[in-house]
Amino acid sequence: MSSNLALFDDEFLKKLEYLNIISKRLFAGQFRAERRTRRRGTGLEFADYRQYVSGDDFRHLDWKAYLRLNRLIMKLFEEEEDLPIYFFVDCSQSMNYGNPSKLNYAKRVAAALCYIGLANLDRVNVIAYAEKIRGELQPQRGKGRIFKVFRFLTDVTSGGETNALESLKTYCTATRRRGLAVVISDFFDQGGFEPALDILRHFRHDIFVVHVASHEEIDPNLKGELLLVDSESQQSREITITPSLLTAYHSEYNRFCEQLEAYCWKYQLGYVRTATDFPFEELILKVFRQGRFLK
Amino acid sequence: MRFLALSTLQTTLLALLTAGTVIALYLLKLRHRRILISSSLLWRRVLEDRQSHSLIEKLRRIISIIIAVTIALLIAVSVSRPEVEALTGKNERIVIVIDTSPTMETLSSDGKTRWEHAVAQAESLLASGGPTTEFRISDTSGRIASSFTTDRNEVRQALANMRPVAAEPQFPKVDVNESLTYFISDGVSIPQVSKSVKRISVFEKAGNVGITAFEIRTRPSIPPSYEAYLEVQNFGGEPAETEIAISGPGRQRVNKSIKLAAEESLQEIFDLTTFEGGPIRATIQSRGDALKSDDIAFAYLPIKRRTRTMLVTKGNNYLQTLLKLDSFVDFSVVDPANFKEADVDAYIFDRFAPATAPSRPALIIGAPDAPWLRTAQGVVNKPQITMWSETHPVMKFVSVHDMSIERASRIDARDLTVIAASNQIPLIVASERPKWVMLTFDLNSTDFPLHVGFPVFIDNVLAWFSRDQLALHGAPGTIEVAMSNAQIRSIDDKIIPSQPQMNKTVFEALEPGLFTATQGDGRLRIAVNLANRNFSDVNRSAFRNDSVAFSEKHFLRRELWFYMLFAAVVLIAAEWFTYHKRITL
Repeated sequence: MSSNLALFDDEFLKKLEYLNIISKRLFAGQFRAERRTRRRGTGLEFADYRQYVSGDDFRHLDWKAYLRLNRLIMKLFEEEEDLPIYFFVDCSQSMNYGNPSKLNYAKRVAAALCYIGLANLDRVNVIAYAEKIRGELQPQRGKGRIFKVFRFLTDVTSGGETNALESLKTYCTATRRRGLAVVISDFFDQGGFEPALDILRHFRHDIFVVHVASHEEIDPNLKGELLLVDSESQQSREITITPSLLTAYHSEYNRFCEQLEAYCWKYQLGYVRTATDFPFEELILKVFRQGRFLK
Repeated sequence: MRFLALSTLQTTLLALLTAGTVIALYLLKLRHRRILISSSLLWRRVLEDRQSHSLIEKLRRIISIIIAVTIALLIAVSVSRPEVEALTGKNERIVIVIDTSPTMETLSSDGKTRWEHAVAQAESLLASGGPTTEFRISDTSGRIASSFTTDRNEVRQALANMRPVAAEPQFPKVDVNESLTYFISDGVSIPQVSKSVKRISVFEKAGNVGITAFEIRTRPSIPPSYEAYLEVQNFGGEPAETEIAISGPGRQRVNKSIKLAAEESLQEIFDLTTFEGGPIRATIQSRGDALKSDDIAFAYLPIKRRTRTMLVTKGNNYLQTLLKLDSFVDFSVVDPANFKEADVDAYIFDRFAPATAPSRPALIIGAPDAPWLRTAQGVVNKPQITMWSETHPVMKFVSVHDMSIERASRIDARDLTVIAASNQIPLIVASERPKWVMLTFDLNSTDFPLHVGFPVFIDNVLAWFSRDQLALHGAPGTIEVAMSNAQIRSIDDKIIPSQPQMNKTVFEALEPGLFTATQGDGRLRIAVNLANRNFSDVNRSAFRNDSVAFSEKHFLRRELWFYMLFAAVVLIAAEWFTYHKRITL
């Protein structure tokens, strides 16, 4: 992992600094930052007027209005706060598949997006999940924390079956603030991907789905008499690969992707699908921007 | 269904064993390659979908087993050479015997010869029968005989090598109990065959005038002169105008036109006094003649030359008178005491023999003692002639059956040719090299000089010593010449292949002709002529309208095992294709 993260050379990191994660909604932050909120506060952007009440900071009184109207009127400014961003990284055993593995690719995507968030003073949370929450990085802010993020991601290992519903439900029912939830996964969940994403929708998170697939899954190079072993459940099945069976698999895989994409489209969720052999920089600098996840 | 290579029980056991082995192999668990996949989620959906909807998916294993068992059974059962009579016909052995006698060259009204019709009939026979039918073909000349085979081409090749030959035909030995025998013939030369032989006739009535005899013989009354004896017969049903021609080596030619009524024969003698010595050819021509091989005959006219002979005797009236009267002989008489070699063609030693063998051939009368002759080992009184050779040149036209001999010497005749003998006691012997003839008895102790054959005998002996001989007679076929390692040449001086056999030389004369055998100074001529009434009488058929219905042709032209192996190969190819396409397991 460390070697892979080392691929973020200075030039690439500089490019990332110019990027900003887009949230379609406005969420309440915890600290002052650069992101607009619904709150009125001490920002630079004028928002509104209101009657002065006792205890208000008279630094924001509009003295010119007082001279004209002889009334104390307060100038209100938009509050700029940080954005809570939750990166849910699937680290189930199925993610440890392909060359490079999907988990490796997912970690790099998460690391890149975390860096963008940290650079924009957003509050970045990283959660590794499989059959349950397997690791959680407490909220981080500021570019200086990126190495902490890297270290956390480096320590994440694959294992266990995917149970996104249980994992996300556990995380969301804790007292968390709403924010941008980025789910990076292959979505091979025996319980289906819909219940898990429904949970995030239920807690009113702004959701962005990053669907990672390996080339071996998209176009498996299989032939002959095979014993297929599920990497998560270790269940095996004897199978004879025929051209028609491969065609049927392709159809099924495409249907699966289309279902996921259709779900995201239906609920206005951001969606990006990438293969592990797709150039990483291009994904970050072009695809995410085209998908209006970054600007 | 029958099995030609194995019994039904063996075939059944083989089939069961094969099928059992294949099924057992299929039931063995095939070791699958282990492949780790990220998730079986999608594969499970695909397989559930396919297995629940595809019947072929459920039957794939069964179909694969059925195909494999079928392939194995096809190969296993084909080993036993199965036969289904309805498809391939009955397995039988057929012998085709074709008559290759000279009469098969007779032309039919359609312009084809009887031989060509016979070949067509043989082809029809070969085309009939099933693929398991074994054929064998043989001719009546004994030259060509194939072995039993199902390969038609092999039989056709043997048939292509056959042709009529002017040789005495003989029905080949055939086991009629083991095989079905067809005899294709005109029924002329071989009229009788076993009843179990199916006869196919190619006979058609035809006109033919043929030479049935031709020879040149001396005229003892007017020596040295020769005459030709010719016998011609009309074997057709209609009168025939015939042109006869006797031609010699120069421009000598005798022509004669005759008209022969049906079945009429003509015996004619032609004077050859004006002919020079050499090959003589007799030919006949007649309209509508269907057989050409009996229209020509050959003979040899010896070149006339007197024999210079020295008679060494103390006095013998018989011999002196005889030699004086013989116009073929220039002779001189010498007393034994004064004998010395001279420039002569032959010697006659009467009760005398020189100490060394003479350089020229000699007739020795009595059994005088000499190192180069056989020593007398005793005397035999009144020996009766019990055997004499009629074929030896010195005995031509000579009969000695009534000759009486008072006394003869007993000699050892090993390595000599015994010409006449009394039981085991040789009386007249001959040596080829050096050439001499010996009478073991004195002319004074026999009545031989009083026999009419005596002058002929002396003349034959002198002729055998030094004169050109008349040609020996022979019929087409294998000819034996009483000369060891002789070279045989035809009338047009081509060398004929020959083989030495004991002290003889053997060669094949398939057509009439005049052949010359040469060995050192020795020379012998053989006139080979058809001159045979049996061959020329082309209408003397014993089975004129015999024919048989050939067995019907069958759909399959090869044995079933061939088609079974072919089907196995096709199935293997199909299995290979479907296996690699993962249609079958």
